Amino acid sequence: MLGRRELLKSSALGFGWLALADLLAQAAVNDPLAPKAPHFPAKAKRIIFLFMHGGPSQVDTFDYKPKLTEHDGKPLPFAKPRVVSGATGNLLKSPFSFKQHGQSGAWVSELFPNIAKCVDDLCFIKSMHGSNSRHGGALLELHTGSDTFVRPSMGSWITYGLGTENRDLPGYVSICPTLTHGGVNNYTSAFLPAIYQATPLGNAGTPSSKVGVPFVKGTTPPDQQRLELDLLAELDRERTAKDAAMDGRIQSFEMAFRMQAAAPMVQDLSKESKETHALYGIDDKATENFGRQCLMARRFAEAGVRFIQCTHSYKWDQHENLTKGHTANAKEVDKPIAGLLMDLKRRGLLKDTLVLWGGEFGRTPVAQGKDGRDHNPHGFTMFLAGGGAKAGHSHGATDDFGYYSVEDKVHIHDLHATMLHLLGLDHLKLTYRHAGRDFRLTDVHGEVVKGVLA
Amino acid sequence: MVRQTITLLTLFLLAANASPADDADFFEKKVRPLLVEKCQSCHGAEKQKGNLRVDSKAALLAGGDRGAAVVPGKPDESLIVRVLAHDGDVKMPPKNKLPAAEIAVFKEWVQRGAAWPDSKAVVAAPKVAAASREFTAEERSFWAFQPVRPQPVPATGSHPVDAFLLAKLKERNLSFAPPADKRTLIRRITFDLTGLPPTSAEVDAFVKDDSKDAYAKLVDRLLASSAYGEKWGRRWLDVARYADSNGMDENLAYVNAWRYRDWVIRAFNSDKPYDEFVRDQIAGDLVPGGSEAERAERLTATGFLVIGPKMLAEDDPMKMRMDIIDEQLDTVGQAFLGLTLGCARCHDHKFDPITAADYYGLAGMFYSTKTMVNYNVVATWNERPIGTPESIAKLAEYKKSLDKLKAEIAKVEKAAKADAEKRLIEEKKRAKEYAIAAIELYNRRGPLKLVEAEPAKRDGAIVAESEAFARGNVLKLTDGYGAGIGVIINAGPIPNFTEHDIDIKKAGTFQVAVRYAAADPRPIRILVNGKVVAGNACGERTGSWNPDTQKWHPEATVPLAAGRIVVRFERDGAIPHLDKIALVPLTADEIAKMPLSPESVAADRKLSPALLRQWLAAVAKRDGKAVEDVDALFRSSKEFDAEGPRKAEIEKLREALAAKEKDKPPVDEVMAVEDAKAENLKIHLRGNHLTLGAEAPRRLPRIMAGDAPLSLKSGSGRLELAQWMTRPDNPLTARVMVNRIWAGHFGTGLVRTPDNFGRLGERPTHPELLDWLAAEFVRSGWSVKAMHRLIVTSNAYKMSVGSNANDVENKFFSHFNRRRLDAEEIRDGMLAVAGKLERTPGGTMLKAKPRQYVTSTANVNYDVYSSPRRTVYLPIVRSAVYDVLQTLDFADPSVPNGQRTATTIPTQALFMLNSSLVDETTEAFAKSLLAMNASDDDRIHAAYHRAFGRTATESELVRVRSYLAKAEATVEAKRLKAWRGFCRVLFASNEFVFVE
Repeated sequence: MLGRRELLKSSALGFGWLALADLLAQAAVNDPLAPKAPHFPAKAKRIIFLFMHGGPSQVDTFDYKPKLTEHDGKPLPFAKPRVVSGATGNLLKSPFSFKQHGQSGAWVSELFPNIAKCVDDLCFIKSMHGSNSRHGGALLELHTGSDTFVRPSMGSWITYGLGTENRDLPGYVSICPTLTHGGVNNYTSAFLPAIYQATPLGNAGTPSSKVGVPFVKGTTPPDQQRLELDLLAELDRERTAKDAAMDGRIQSFEMAFRMQAAAPMVQDLSKESKETHALYGIDDKATENFGRQCLMARRFAEAGVRFIQCTHSYKWDQHENLTKGHTANAKEVDKPIAGLLMDLKRRGLLKDTLVLWGGEFGRTPVAQGKDGRDHNPHGFTMFLAGGGAKAGHSHGATDDFGYYSVEDKVHIHDLHATMLHLLGLDHLKLTYRHAGRDFRLTDVHGEVVKGVLA
Repeated sequence: MVRQTITLLTLFLLAANASPADDADFFEKKVRPLLVEKCQSCHGAEKQKGNLRVDSKAALLAGGDRGAAVVPGKPDESLIVRVLAHDGDVKMPPKNKLPAAEIAVFKEWVQRGAAWPDSKAVVAAPKVAAASREFTAEERSFWAFQPVRPQPVPATGSHPVDAFLLAKLKERNLSFAPPADKRTLIRRITFDLTGLPPTSAEVDAFVKDDSKDAYAKLVDRLLASSAYGEKWGRRWLDVARYADSNGMDENLAYVNAWRYRDWVIRAFNSDKPYDEFVRDQIAGDLVPGGSEAERAERLTATGFLVIGPKMLAEDDPMKMRMDIIDEQLDTVGQAFLGLTLGCARCHDHKFDPITAADYYGLAGMFYSTKTMVNYNVVATWNERPIGTPESIAKLAEYKKSLDKLKAEIAKVEKAAKADAEKRLIEEKKRAKEYAIAAIELYNRRGPLKLVEAEPAKRDGAIVAESEAFARGNVLKLTDGYGAGIGVIINAGPIPNFTEHDIDIKKAGTFQVAVRYAAADPRPIRILVNGKVVAGNACGERTGSWNPDTQKWHPEATVPLAAGRIVVRFERDGAIPHLDKIALVPLTADEIAKMPLSPESVAADRKLSPALLRQWLAAVAKRDGKAVEDVDALFRSSKEFDAEGPRKAEIEKLREALAAKEKDKPPVDEVMAVEDAKAENLKIHLRGNHLTLGAEAPRRLPRIMAGDAPLSLKSGSGRLELAQWMTRPDNPLTARVMVNRIWAGHFGTGLVRTPDNFGRLGERPTHPELLDWLAAEFVRSGWSVKAMHRLIVTSNAYKMSVGSNANDVENKFFSHFNRRRLDAEEIRDGMLAVAGKLERTPGGTMLKAKPRQYVTSTANVNYDVYSSPRRTVYLPIVRSAVYDVLQTLDFADPSVPNGQRTATTIPTQALFMLNSSLVDETTEAFAKSLLAMNASDDDRIHAAYHRAFGRTATESELVRVRSYLAKAEATVEAKRLKAWRGFCRVLFASNEFVFVE
């Protein structure tokens, strides 16, 4: 019996394998996106990744450091990293005030008044670290596990591992993805079959109200299109009735026909109540754009899409104007994210939907200019919610000033291993053979972070 | 912090007080058990991972690849403590970190001096240098490393290819499927050799030609057509991971990559011997001799080494350099040798007998090669000039006249310097005036301030919407970035510009203010009546591209006479999002407070601008305090000299020079390498450039090239590498290429993993045939075209498509494999059938400046993809591959790829249903059918002929007629749409997208 991987591999080699279709289960052969059982029982069925492109500052958001305020203006009492992206000065206190919230007493800065209300559902990882101090490398590392080579993105690995639950929709979508800092390479399938690549809905330059599946809209009226599809099926069936591959292709046109209706329907937010629009901040100019992304994400999640990414476009890179920049950025995402968390929860979706929030790195506690911070991959904060992550919890810590991750360090590889674990996938077993070796999302690294599991 | 100090203090006291007996006891009871239980299975008598043993003190002191494991008394400097604490990239034990208490035991033991009671002077395990690892018998006998040994052709068929295949088939009681009919055959071979469908005339001519050599003539015609190089060149470009941009983190335009692409196409069309083809791509720059043009061609070929994707913004330059070398080696290995050399970067290859020493031996050759000009953030790759003798002569001529002009300027400047001394004496008398002016300038320095927060509020202010320009080439946007306000943004063409015609009613001095938003600095030039008034305007980062950060910014102060003026904005790139511009009249008081420029003050007071600038700089250095050493400020400079009586003459000459410098005759440049300082690399333990092992002399892979060192007198060693790879007895080069050619015709190779001939690759299904073809390839003088001819003239190639239950995977070639057309063939095929395909060869379509970013928030210059030229000439922008190609399984242009996949995904169907490409081609196709003076039935037949090379069957005619009736093709308004739909059905059909 051939495994799925062997089948996919042989599919790359032409059509010889297709005769096997008669011998093996049709679904598995014809449909590499068919839902597949995880390695062990899963806590999460899908992922929504809220990506904050540019690198939000941990010490101004969730990683409260009173010592930083105390030592404001003084030199960092230990060495800066060997490799840095730019020159920095002395310690710079956060211009934002922090308070504790919820039963869990999580510290949240004034930037996120709405997310602060959800802290008892969140699991903060305050000891994140990566290895690349530039946007491009760090984005690729976060999305693919490699800052050196083109590798499959985490969404591609997950769709490869689990398939998808709704065949009228793509299994992996990225809403308004960036075209810079690696662009498509951040959601590519690389050497995995192309079917596992994300379907991009627009890009960072498109308002979220204008995004859609590529080629989903055309110029042919539906009744005319129906006539064409009927003729196509008749002619194709007449000539090539016996072959499974040919038949699969005929079916793909019917699937495309359904997707033309299904995808815009999921994206159509007009059926949502006024209250829901308000919950996501779609009624407010500042939050409307990201609010739509978040509401679309919930609707895709509901419809069975496996991996959904929302990108808050490249705004968080405050080398200067930290106070103003972070205030404006946080304003744009705070309400939409809180709205998404609350909405998922009240619909019972948060149980099996893992939400991940964060940027490609954090920022330095030392100043760049008077009101700026440089890139910092050595210690930063991300948070998880739902999908089997420990609610109302904070894991790991940075040093007294928030520069380096020091306690219960979580590398990006560890985060990937943990995400796969929550989806019921063993990161050591989810492999694909390419160019002479078995590849993994976590390369030769990664440990499941037990401390964040519920 | 406090707690740690106490712990250390306790340890110190313990150490100070402990007796040797206590130490021994501590070791035996606590440390030794842990070492035995947790460490020695990998670092003991049996195994010495990382060349480290931990079963004696001497061994710990001697350490392994990474140096000493223990520094007695210094736990912080002891590798063993760091590694156990999982603090760093090496973590031991790798899976399960020891409990904190056990790590503390080690720390304490080291702190106390690392006592080891029975410690004899044990000799540390001899370090086995990776380079001298013995290969196993299995490794040595692996098929791919054996010399090519052609066996005699079996007596089972008239054509050698058939003979080898039939011999295997016979063993299994199988035979060839019946031959395909002539129509099928011509469509198959025309697509296979040229990537295009045969025209209906070509089909008819071939079907009618009953002569014995009809097929041979067809093959010759196709191999001689320029379309052959376009198809097979593109196949090589997949392997060479060709692209017109860097991709990765910084997606810069490779404006010269196309020259390499065109070189590849020419090489296939001229049947360049494959050994030269290989040699030139690896070391073309080092091959001596030949004409200027030939040398330029060989230099162009080395573009192969430079066009790979690179992380150009890496803060660690050494990491960047090693990553680039790794990418080169990995590509060279897979493309030419079918070996995954990259796997040996961190350790000896796990599956193939390629050691880390082999890897760094080869890496040294590329380390000794200049691929990059620098490793800055953002780094610059190497480009070298090439040119025809004429263009090189032209450049020499230009340089001569440039030098002449420079000499002339020098002469005049010398004369000016002579009389400058006299002027200095005069100026010195006015020192006091200079001092006052300089202080005044210093006090009124600083950035422009906005005089009116809302310019429209001031009487006489002129406010214009940026989108109300009189002339310009930018995009007006009233939603998204321009929601509610209306802005202008980049539409693609460079330079971006707008011009506003503005009427000034009353003369005066005005502040130019602009309202804009920008997430990244995009400084523009502002010109008034053709004169630059601000060269670096609107360059601030406001925080976003959106209306929420739109703000007024002061940009310039200009005196203006009454009348019509032209205000021009321009930038050689995308502009900030501009909302409004304003001209605000200034009051006398405001003018008096405006920052002053040395030039205007000098003009007003008849001072020397050059001297005043010098003086101001001195004052600024002293934070505004008066300068004491006044004499030092009165010194001659080029600027001061040029202010004298020869001013006009000098200015004229300098302008002429500036113009001349801009007028440099274009010399073609290619992405190319050159030899740099020849150096060996040290082995990078775990691939990390911070942990270096033994030196690995530059050499060839030992498993094939033997143990003798490579003698390199000078140079990087690339030429020697290329010469070894193209030796007739190299076991891999010819096998890998004939396999690629075979796969291009049969859909699968004789080795089904064309880029991997190693242990994890597939074994050849027909090793005897593979070797026979490889030997034949070398014997023919490495002629690729001869290899095609040999393969396609076999009966095996002419079989029909079918299936065979006893050969389900068609491993024995019992029938022909049906093949889905690749992305280029579908696009080119549709354009050809529609009569729209344009066949201009070569050149670039990338509309970008050198090293310009080609993706930002949106793709740049998307419109080039609507060109009807062959797909191979469309720009391949990494990270933003043309969506039509992306959808149809184009190979990822970031990695070498010898075998495309053929998926069936709904997006491909959506592409057929809704894309503008299919809309346009079907419309042209339909229009040409309707223009025929013929019946509808004849039109249907004609369409079938053009698309499939056959007439429609009776039942097809019935179905299409019925469709046309339902689509109301007789209604004039619906006629074109109905026929367009029919054409779409033909393009979307299995018969069109598959070749039988």
